[in-house]
Amino acid sequence: MATSLNNESLFINWRADLPSSIVVSLVALPLCLGVALASGAPLFAGLVSGIVGGIVVGALSRSRLSVSGPAAGLTAIVLAAIEGLSSYEAFLLAVCLAGVMQIGFSFLRAGILAEFVPSSVITGMLAAIGLILILKQMPHAIGYDGDPVGDFAFGQKDGGNTFSSVVAMLRDDIQWGALLVALVSLMFLFWWDKVRPKEGPWRFLPGPLVVVVFGVAANAWFQHFMPALVIAPTHLVAVPVPATMAGYVDLLQMPDIGAIGRGEVWIAAATIAIVASLESLLSVKAVDEIDPQRRVTDKNRELLAQGCGNLVAGFLGGIPVTSVIVRSSANVDAGAKSQLSTILHAVWLLVSVLMIPWILNLIPLSALAAVLIATGWKLAKPSLFAERWGQGLTQFIPFVATVVAILFTDLLIGIAIGIAIGLSFVVWRNIQNAVTVIHHGEDVMVRARRNLYFVHKAQLQEALAAIPDGKTVLIDLSATNYVDLDNIDIINAFAKAAPYRSLRVVLKGDARGETSKRIRAPLTRARAT
Amino acid sequence: MQEIPQLLLHNRAWAAEQLEEDPEFFRRTLDGQKPAFLWIGCSDSRVQPDHFTQAAPGGLFVHRNIANLVRHDDANLMAVLDFAVMTLGVEDIVICGHYGCGGIAASLGKLPSGPVGHWLEHVVDVLDAHREAVESLHEPDARVNRLVEINVRDQLLHLAQTSTVQAAFAAGRPLKLHGWVYDLRDGLIKPLLDIDSTTVLEEVGAPERVLV
Repeated sequence: MATSLNNESLFINWRADLPSSIVVSLVALPLCLGVALASGAPLFAGLVSGIVGGIVVGALSRSRLSVSGPAAGLTAIVLAAIEGLSSYEAFLLAVCLAGVMQIGFSFLRAGILAEFVPSSVITGMLAAIGLILILKQMPHAIGYDGDPVGDFAFGQKDGGNTFSSVVAMLRDDIQWGALLVALVSLMFLFWWDKVRPKEGPWRFLPGPLVVVVFGVAANAWFQHFMPALVIAPTHLVAVPVPATMAGYVDLLQMPDIGAIGRGEVWIAAATIAIVASLESLLSVKAVDEIDPQRRVTDKNRELLAQGCGNLVAGFLGGIPVTSVIVRSSANVDAGAKSQLSTILHAVWLLVSVLMIPWILNLIPLSALAAVLIATGWKLAKPSLFAERWGQGLTQFIPFVATVVAILFTDLLIGIAIGIAIGLSFVVWRNIQNAVTVIHHGEDVMVRARRNLYFVHKAQLQEALAAIPDGKTVLIDLSATNYVDLDNIDIINAFAKAAPYRSLRVVLKGDARGETSKRIRAPLTRARAT
Repeated sequence: MQEIPQLLLHNRAWAAEQLEEDPEFFRRTLDGQKPAFLWIGCSDSRVQPDHFTQAAPGGLFVHRNIANLVRHDDANLMAVLDFAVMTLGVEDIVICGHYGCGGIAASLGKLPSGPVGHWLEHVVDVLDAHREAVESLHEPDARVNRLVEINVRDQLLHLAQTSTVQAAFAAGRPLKLHGWVYDLRDGLIKPLLDIDSTTVLEEVGAPERVLV
C-alpha cells in the first residue's frame, strides 16, 4: 500500500480532487474562524492552522482522504492554555513543543493505540458528530449565530448548550433571508445527491459550491429587491481584511522561545500533544472507515505528519491542528481520491484569504450551515443506526452509548465510555463457561477451558464450593498457559480445606508446568489424557 | 481453498501454536513414547479416540480397521498388540465399536464384492453365532447397534485368546481388556464388559444393550 503511493503521481486523480478541494475549503473556512474564536485565539490563527494542516500534514500523511486543521475538540484545552500562560507567544511555543512530542510518539510507534478502538465506537463517534453538526448548525441555518461555528462541545461558550441553542433560535428573531437560503440549499443538496450523474462533466459539479454561489447571489438579490430579507453582516463569513499585504505579515505571530524554561509551557505542550494525537488517530481511523476504497492509513506516519504540522503551525502563529472529521467526511462526500484534495484545499484557503477576502465575506453562514447539515445527515442517517442494530446488541449498545456520551459530554470522554462498554462485553463473553464441571460416579472434574484471570474467580469459587463432600476431584488446568494468583489462591484454599470435607484433590497441570508448581495438590499419575 | 493446501496450513498453524503454548513440546516427544492404552477402534472418520477422550500425544497407541475386528490371522494387528503389550508395557487394551457402524450395517445385507466384502465375512461369522439375538429386533437401526455391541464382545474374546494376551496373563501382568462403544449421538463412551486374567472366557455372556 505504502509503495504504491510512492509510485503514483499526486496529480493522477486531479479531476476528482480539484472539485472536492474547493468544497472542503468552503467548509473549512468558517470552521477555521469558528474554532479560533471558540479557542480565544486571533481569528487569523485559525486560518494559519487550516492552511498548515492542509499543506504540511496533507503532504506528509499517508491518509488519502483525511483533512487536518484547527480542531473543535481542542478548543477547551487551547482556551485554558492561552489563558493559563497569559501570553499567546508562550502558547505558540507550547504548540511547537507539542509537535516535537508527537514526532516522538511516532518514533515510539504509539499509532498502534488507534487499533484498540472498536469499530462500533468509531462509527458511534461519526454518528454523534453528524448529530452534533445538525443540531449545532440549525441555529446558524436560520441566522442565530450566538455560538461560534466551530464549537462542538455540549456546554457552549455562550452559556447555553446544544439543545438550548436550538430552542433559543426558535424564540429569538429568525432571519428569514438566512432561513430561506438554508432551506433552498438543503433541498438542492439532497436533490443533487440523488440525481448527480455518474458520467459526463456534470458529475464533477460540487453541490456545496453551487449552494455557496447561490447564497451570495440570493443575498445580493435581497439587497436590490427584498431589503427585508437581507442577511446581516454578522451572519456572513468574517475573514480579517488588512489594508495591505504587509498587514498580513503583522497578523502572523511568532513563538516566544524564551518561555522554554517555564513548566506550564511543557505541561500545556504535553496536554496538547496527547489530546491532539488521540483525536488525530481516532479521526484517521474513522476516515479509513468511510473511505470507499477502505485503504488503511499508517498511524505512526500520521503522528509524524501531525507533529510536523503542529511544529509549523506554532511557528507561524497558528493554533494546534489535528485530523478533523467534519472536513474529512466532506472531502470523502465530495468524491476526493487522494491527498491532492486536502493540499489544494489549503492552497485555496491561502489564495482566497490573500486575494479575495471581501468576496469570502459575502458568503452567508446559513449556506455553509446547509452544507454541514447535509454532511451531518450522511454521518448520522437512520439507516446507519438500523445497520448497527442488525449486527446485534454487542455492536449496538457500545455504538449508541458512544453517540449519547459524545452528545452530552465531549469527544474523548464519549470515546472512553464507548471503549469501556466494548471492553465489558469482552470480559462478559470471556467469563461465560470458562470452567467446566463434570460429575461421573464418585469422580468430579473441574476443568479450566481457557486462561483464568481475576474475572473468573467467582465462577471457579462457585464450581469448587458446589462439589459434594467425599468426592475425588480432578482439577484440570491443561488447557491453560496462564492462571493468575487470585485463582491459584482459590485452588490452594480448596486443597487445604479438602481433608475437612473428605475430598481427595488431584491436579492436572498446565503444559509448561508453571502453574502446577505453585499449587499444593498432588499431580495426577494418569498419562494418557 | 483446496484440501491439501488448507491441510498443510493447519499443520503449520498447529505446530506454531503448540510451540507457543509449550516450547518444550516437540523436544519432549523425541524422548520416546510410553502410552497407557492400546486402542483398537473402527476406521470411521467420525470416531476419533484422541479427540473425544482429550488424550495427549503419547497417550494412546492406536490400531483401527473397519468394524474394529480382531483376527488372529491379521499380522498387522498381531504385531501392534505384541509391541504394545510386550515392548511398551501397556496395561489396558480397549476395543471400541460405535453407533451406526457402516461395516456392521453392510454385513446385515448383501456383502459388497472385493476386499471389503471379504473382510466383512468375519462380521457375518459373528452374526451367524448370534443371529437370534439380532434378528429378534425389528428396527433396522436397532439390529445394527445390537450387532455392534455383540461384535465388541466377540472381538474382545478373540483378543483374550491371542497368544500375546495369554502370555501376559500367565506371567501375572496386570493386563485388562475393555469392551466399549462410542455413541455418535451424544459423544459418550458406554462400557460393555471387561476381561482380565481371572475372567473365565467361556462364561462371558451377552453384553447389556447400551445403544438404545
